[in-house]
Amino acid sequence: MWKLVLQRLSILVAMLLIVSVAAFAVPLMSDGDPARTILMSRTSDFNLDPDAVESLRTELGLDRTLAAQYFGWLGHALRGDLGFSFATRQPVLSEIARALAVSLTLALTALGWALLVALPLGTLAAMRPGGKLDGATTLLIQTLVATPEYWFAPVSVLVFSLWLGVLPSAGWQGPSSLILPALALSLRPMAYFTQITRAAMSDVLQAPYISAARARGLSYNQSVLRHGLRNGSLPVITFFALWFAGLLGGSVVVEVIFAIPGMGRLLYDAVINNDVPMLQGAFVAMVGLAIVINTAADVFYVLINPAMRGRHAQ
Amino acid sequence: MPSDMILSPPDAPGLLSRAVIYTRSRHWTFRAGVAIVAAMIALIALAPWIAPHDPGAQDLLGRLKGPTAVHWLGTDHLGRDVLSRLLIGRQFTVTISAVAVVITLVIGTVIGVMAGRAGGLADELAMRTVDLLISVPDVVIAIFLIGVFGPGWLTLLVALTLTGWTPYARLARGLTREVNAREYIRAAEVLGMKRSFVMFRHILPNCIRPITAISFLRFGHKLITVGGLSYLGLGVQPPNPDWGLMLAEAQPYLERAPLLMIAPGAVIFLAALGVTWIGHGMEIDTSGTGEDRT
Repeated sequence: MWKLVLQRLSILVAMLLIVSVAAFAVPLMSDGDPARTILMSRTSDFNLDPDAVESLRTELGLDRTLAAQYFGWLGHALRGDLGFSFATRQPVLSEIARALAVSLTLALTALGWALLVALPLGTLAAMRPGGKLDGATTLLIQTLVATPEYWFAPVSVLVFSLWLGVLPSAGWQGPSSLILPALALSLRPMAYFTQITRAAMSDVLQAPYISAARARGLSYNQSVLRHGLRNGSLPVITFFALWFAGLLGGSVVVEVIFAIPGMGRLLYDAVINNDVPMLQGAFVAMVGLAIVINTAADVFYVLINPAMRGRHAQ
Repeated sequence: MPSDMILSPPDAPGLLSRAVIYTRSRHWTFRAGVAIVAAMIALIALAPWIAPHDPGAQDLLGRLKGPTAVHWLGTDHLGRDVLSRLLIGRQFTVTISAVAVVITLVIGTVIGVMAGRAGGLADELAMRTVDLLISVPDVVIAIFLIGVFGPGWLTLLVALTLTGWTPYARLARGLTREVNAREYIRAAEVLGMKRSFVMFRHILPNCIRPITAISFLRFGHKLITVGGLSYLGLGVQPPNPDWGLMLAEAQPYLERAPLLMIAPGAVIFLAALGVTWIGHGMEIDTSGTGEDRT
């Protein structure tokens, strides 16, 4: 088992290195000269003094070899120094930390809400396969999957903010401003969670221990509640982690629509402002976090579930 | 995992008929999905002839009008006919999504089948990569690449492909391993059949239907992603009409002309729902329950 954990960790490190190379190298492939970009953003002047450009190049270490530049950048990044944003002149890391806290809140709210609906709904659907509720649930899942957040969000703003006037249409002040974005963000995870719960529960409900519980005189509902739910919700943990990792960065559209100062907004602004250090930092943070969380969930799943130990050996 | 489909004898019909014609799904959502998608394809193809107005023609005096007999879905902020723009505008989103689905399907299936056949370290490595990549949001990669190279179809395709192949690889690998354990594979090997023969005659035909099913589901997902990038102004550039872009342009006039925002969103929704229904119908057909389709 520890061999498996070790193997996951080494793959994780390898992937993180690949991500860092991509974050470092991809911006070099564009035709822009970082020194010129920085100077232009500082002076808002297109006629740059060639001497100034040259001295900044030396200062930034752009005259070194690519490998030296990469390891220099990586060394700084590992010590938490991701450089300064071109646009705000703030350290990239502190901006990311602030934005991450916001996205974290949003993601947890959305996923919590999604689970709250998905677990009972998926379980009920699995209890009567092919029944009316099961059919309705499948239809709901398909509808949720097909609904674009950038359509749901404006419609919900129209109804709840402009017509009813009960919820704020944008911004990040207080819990009420969390409701509409979290709702928009929860659609897709809700669909997948319901689906996973339904699939897992229908497997579990055919297990011998459910029949045993029934034989002992428990009602169907009781045996589902006491024995089925615990086992049936295991796969949901993995998916929760997967979505959590994804939502930390995948909420660009929703954060932009609702003007929420989270990670997605940070990435979007970096693109709009042509802010390369911020773009690199946000990319590394989002992709890195997704990979780390995913590995953590995987290792956790192996640790708590002995039956999983042999799974990959087959 | 699908099992009844694998029981089908190896002399079943060819690839295409397995993928499409043999779908026996009788569920109404499958039929509705086919109807929606067929209607949309017909409308796309006929758009230049049936669009009631020139999608670029502006009428600043008649801007932001609600539905009238002349403009069925009203006019946008520049007085352009919304219906005509919807009819013409879908082409970029749909094309990019479709191309991305085909590319990722091919790459993913090849990697999955090879990993499943090879086994051992190569298999392990490929599947761990899939496990990790599957959690990386494609939108983040897309925005990063767009930030560096600027918006464009190539950037979009690369971004969608980098992580998009993973679900196909996982599915194809699982199916390959399942088929691999079958007796007719051992029989073919004992008879001295070539590896390529086993691959094309036995393994691929058994993969094709489940993979076609999830490719429809993925297509719906891609439509929404690409539309979202256009919505953010990172996909199609104005003044080309595009669903996502139309939604974004309608945003400031939300209260004054709600239909302007509702109409393009409804079209994206319907398209995504149509392909999801088709995909789901095919999936029921092959496996009974939809399992893991992230």
